[in-house]
Amino acid sequence: MLELKINGGTYEVDPPVGQTLAETLRGDLGLTGTKVACGEGHCGACTVQLDGVPALSCITLVHTVGEREVTTIEGLRDHPLVDAFVRADALQCGFCTPGQIVSAAALVEAEPELTAERVRHAMAGNLCRCGAYPRIEEAILSWRD
Amino acid sequence: MARLIRTEKEVEGKYTEQWVVVEGEDEALDQWPQGPRAVVGTPARRQDGLQRARGEAEYTADLQLPGTLHAAVLRSPYAHARAKVDLTRARATGWVRGAIGPGDCHVLQEEPSFHGAPVAAVAADSLREARAGLELIDVEWEELEPLLDPEEAVKRESFVDDTRHYSRGDVEAAFAEADVVVEGEFRTQVVLHNALETHQAVCRWEGETLEVYISTQFIWGVRDSISSQLGLPPDRVRVVCNYMGGGFGAKNSPGDHTYIAIALASQTGHPVHCALTRREENLAAGNRNATSQRLRAGARSDGTLVALEGEYVNAIGWAGFNGPTYGPIEMLYACENVRTVTYGAKLNLPPNAAFRAPGFVEGTFGLECLLDELAGRLELDPLELRRRNYADKDLVDDRPFSSKNLLECYDRAEPHWARRDEVRARSEGPWQRGVGLASQIWYGGGGPPSYAWVRVGSDTRATVITAMQDIGTGTRTAMAQIAAEELGLPLERVRCELGDSARGPYASISAGSSTTPSMGPAVRAAAADAARQLLEIAAQRFHLEERVLSLRGGQIVSADGGSWPLEEITGLLEDAQILGKGARGPNPAGMRVLTFGIQVAEVAVDVETGEVVVERIAAIHDVGRVINPLGARSQVEGGIIQGIGHTLSEARLVDPVSGKVLTQTLDAYKLPTIADVPEIVTDLLDIPDEHLTNLGSKGLGEPPIVPTAAAIVNAIRDATGAEVHELPVSREAMLRALAEAREREKRGAPAAV
Amino acid sequence: MELRQPSSLAELDGADGLALAGGTDLVPLLRDGLVEAETLVDVRAVVPRGIDGGTIGAGTTLAELEVDPESPQALREACALAASPQLRSMGTIGGNLLQATRCWYWRLKYPCFLHGGSTCHARQGAHREHAIFGNEHCASAHPSDPAAALLSLGTTLRTDRRELPLADLYRLPTEDDRDVTALEPGELILELEVPKPEASTYLKAMDRTRFTFALVGVAAARFGSETKIALAGVAPIPWLLESADDLDRATPLPGTAYKVDLARALVRRALDALA
Ligand SMILES: Cc1cc2nc3c(=O)[nH]c(=O)nc-3n(C[C@H](O)[C@H](O)[C@H](O)COP(=O)(O)OP(=O)(O)OC[C@H]3O[C@@H](n4cnc5c(N)ncnc54)[C@H](O)[C@@H]3O)c2cc1C
Ligand code: SF4
Ligand code: FES
Ligand code: FES
Repeated sequence: MLELKINGGTYEVDPPVGQTLAETLRGDLGLTGTKVACGEGHCGACTVQLDGVPALSCITLVHTVGEREVTTIEGLRDHPLVDAFVRADALQCGFCTPGQIVSAAALVEAEPELTAERVRHAMAGNLCRCGAYPRIEEAILSWRD
Repeated sequence: MARLIRTEKEVEGKYTEQWVVVEGEDEALDQWPQGPRAVVGTPARRQDGLQRARGEAEYTADLQLPGTLHAAVLRSPYAHARAKVDLTRARATGWVRGAIGPGDCHVLQEEPSFHGAPVAAVAADSLREARAGLELIDVEWEELEPLLDPEEAVKRESFVDDTRHYSRGDVEAAFAEADVVVEGEFRTQVVLHNALETHQAVCRWEGETLEVYISTQFIWGVRDSISSQLGLPPDRVRVVCNYMGGGFGAKNSPGDHTYIAIALASQTGHPVHCALTRREENLAAGNRNATSQRLRAGARSDGTLVALEGEYVNAIGWAGFNGPTYGPIEMLYACENVRTVTYGAKLNLPPNAAFRAPGFVEGTFGLECLLDELAGRLELDPLELRRRNYADKDLVDDRPFSSKNLLECYDRAEPHWARRDEVRARSEGPWQRGVGLASQIWYGGGGPPSYAWVRVGSDTRATVITAMQDIGTGTRTAMAQIAAEELGLPLERVRCELGDSARGPYASISAGSSTTPSMGPAVRAAAADAARQLLEIAAQRFHLEERVLSLRGGQIVSADGGSWPLEEITGLLEDAQILGKGARGPNPAGMRVLTFGIQVAEVAVDVETGEVVVERIAAIHDVGRVINPLGARSQVEGGIIQGIGHTLSEARLVDPVSGKVLTQTLDAYKLPTIADVPEIVTDLLDIPDEHLTNLGSKGLGEPPIVPTAAAIVNAIRDATGAEVHELPVSREAMLRALAEAREREKRGAPAAV
Repeated sequence: MELRQPSSLAELDGADGLALAGGTDLVPLLRDGLVEAETLVDVRAVVPRGIDGGTIGAGTTLAELEVDPESPQALREACALAASPQLRSMGTIGGNLLQATRCWYWRLKYPCFLHGGSTCHARQGAHREHAIFGNEHCASAHPSDPAAALLSLGTTLRTDRRELPLADLYRLPTEDDRDVTALEPGELILELEVPKPEASTYLKAMDRTRFTFALVGVAAARFGSETKIALAGVAPIPWLLESADDLDRATPLPGTAYKVDLARALVRRALDALA
């Protein structure tokens, strides 16, 4: 039995060794806000925070999460970034968006004063095939407005 | 009254004649005057933006219907083989709940003819078990010789369809008389759609009805294909797609995975979820095919094009469609003498699928690069060359355009083009800078049939109901805006419900830039129908003549200045509702409906390392009336960014010996990241097409990707003198072109700048 | 599969199993069956993490190194340009040095030389990302940016068994031994000893601006009058150049000849930057 701390709550799960955090979140816990688009660490759609640090849940073995607090998009639903994304039209199909927002939330927490250069460096791990990038950049730079 | 009409329909350049039933008021409605209105033409936030951003939107990938089994598909590891499939061991386990092979489902192949072709499939309680189940399928493979080379396919006449020949005028004579002739061979690579939500479907039998939850661009197309494939009455197939995670052309039909899910659902009696992995997606879910293009252009010394010729080889793969790579050369310029031949090479490679302006992206690259080389030879300004060859009617069918404002686009491009000297002057050390442009032509008129309903209740809120899909283009929002405008309601009071064939009327495909021009007029007609009914009631209630009344700003307004809150009428409805119905009318008879535009790109090229940085792109497009400027800008940016990937970094690579796809994963297949995006300036003309429907709107999904590659490559030539004739412009391609340019210069040939 | 999570080196003692650090390389390899393990050992509590002067714990993440003001510039730049932000905050420097090749044939399980077979499929096949040096048997290109930086810096490794120069960690695969590292089974990298140069830099040519492996990466570090140059993406292992002239002796495949030009340009720039 594993105890996971997720979005301020505690969950008990009993996954086989080798199962990933993404599989646990989506499959066992129904937290389907976290998306999986590649399943092998190449796209960023599955980004969650572990103790505030962005991590790829699709290649994180759930047994290695330990004491760390998991924050998913479900825990960030009222973050001002969500509104900033909608305001700036920073999403099209929206499939990459939860991952973008989870990454961005960690970024604005760590660096409240951001430049476009920093955003482009720190968000390069979240692919968006629709190409919402210019608006994503705008949303992150204006998240407090 | 319902009317039956015969009309022409176009999707992505393919025309068919068909009967359509039209009802409602489409044609009776005058277009709104040009310019932004209270709601239409005014920026609006996406109606489903919050759900998507908060991770609440339920995509097909997120469905967890009770009792769902998960499917895994056994795919051919060979480009061509014969497969003898034995399911005995898989079926003998308790935990493989369903197993199918060739013979059980028409998409499973005994002679798989491309790497990734589906051969067998299993279903189990979990994906993990399903994958393990695949190990228990015994297959005797007999590897066969694959045909991989498109030129070889042309030689052997291995084609997906008849070779297309087109000609007008006397091409040979015209070339003989031309003052200047330029020619070139251009190549484009295979690119992969890579929508972030992979192709997937969940299929379940509910009694006699088959429910298909699917990530699709065409709910009704999926319904029709499945019903005819399975011999079911169409109404027994319910297709649902509330949210979908991108398609870009690859999700227009049910696809193999859906038929596999259906077969396994039928076998097991459970809902079955069949989702492609990213790798399967990049093997078997379609691609933009490679092309090779031998082009020739002849002109008089004043720049008048006298002859154009193109020989196109589309490397289609095992199946797919032979797209209109020839389109731009035939349609873009006023050239009397044009000849093309287009081969669709059938190869042991994965089938293609429509990908955002298929054919035109590739054809524009070749044509517009060749034209800049011509401008160089003529020492003529490239923009001027294009102006001099402006076509004021369609020369293919000898028809007038319903509207064309390309000259206005050219005028608006001037200031961007005029930055050329300043941009070049910023060259520094190894970084050479330059500016390039390219014109755009594409379809985008949409067409019937498409239907919508608009419901107004006693709460004075309206709902647009139509069984279409929002693939990320902001359809929900645009449709709500149109209805709100017509009903004189604020946007907050109008919503759009879509995504379920059982809960709304037939709606068009979201492809070919046809969503807004097809659906929008139907929605407006439905809203007008609802408005008329509201006014009828108001006329009776206030003892006025209906024709003096109108709806504006949430009020009923009479010609004599009186006004009443709309609530006074809707309040009378109690539990009743007003239902307006609308249909899309035909496109203007005898006219060509097309979209136009131009892009101006600024690049910096590191001539020592071959690095190309796109620094700025200005995109000016003529797509008729713009419904939502906010969403429209996003579409333009998205198209350009995909275009940049196509131009610089994306390429599907295949092992030349085995024909196997090597770049299945997103580390090897390189999509643009946020760090690859230039400054993008969007300028949409927003001039309604006065002949096209009650809206004057054309589609916008595809035009922005059409000229991007050519504009970038022309800017590279401007910056460096290097002539790039192939995509992507990888480091090696760029360094090679730079070396060739240096060679030319050494030999004293004039650089084509 | 079993996962062990020892809390100290002592607790680990003697047990076999495959080390799992950030898992960014290993987890996908396990899923694809490219690596098989009965037992995984989560080494995060065992391997030191953090930077103390010139000593770097092998468990330090690339994200931590990227922003560490004490680390030499070449290492910081190599880390900043490696992978993606998420991968850098998960991946450790120890794991990075030991990551497997990205050769698509190898990753797709072609029975190639590196997998113990007899041919290198890349040589006849698609190989634009492959090697220009040391490619006689296997033409793969080493993917690590930090490894090139650390090599140019003359880094020494401390394992749970010995000290060894980073240069000796790597070996070209041969007929008899297809391994590209010289670590013993179960041997753990604990720390890296990184000399402080007077100046250093890392330049990386890639297919997009971020989040992709090096076509060519060039690290240069100047110690007194001596400048050491090491390359990523050019050989099955990180590749030390004696001098820029070494590039004249490259053995590119038809599709990798451009990498020689690329390396030349970047080496010149790196040397200029340090001059
Ligand atoms: C999509 C993608 C892009 C990437 N791009 C780049 C790039 O551009 N440049 C770059 O340099 N890297 C890149 N990487 C590689 C990435 O940086 C490495 O995967 C990461 O640093 C490995 O660290 P880890 O802690 O996750 O290692 P793990 O995956 O945990 O382990 C990797 C290997 O090292 C072994 N190992 C780990 N720690 C130790 C130890 N202390 N002692 C002994 N053995 C150990 C493991 O047994 C395993 O064999 C990329 C990776 C991915 C997935
Ligand atoms: S380069 Fe090396 S890993 Fe790749 S196919 Fe050749 S031998 Fe195998
Ligand atoms: S789904 Fe995890 S990185 Fe792509
Ligand atoms: S919004 Fe569609 S992938 Fe980003």
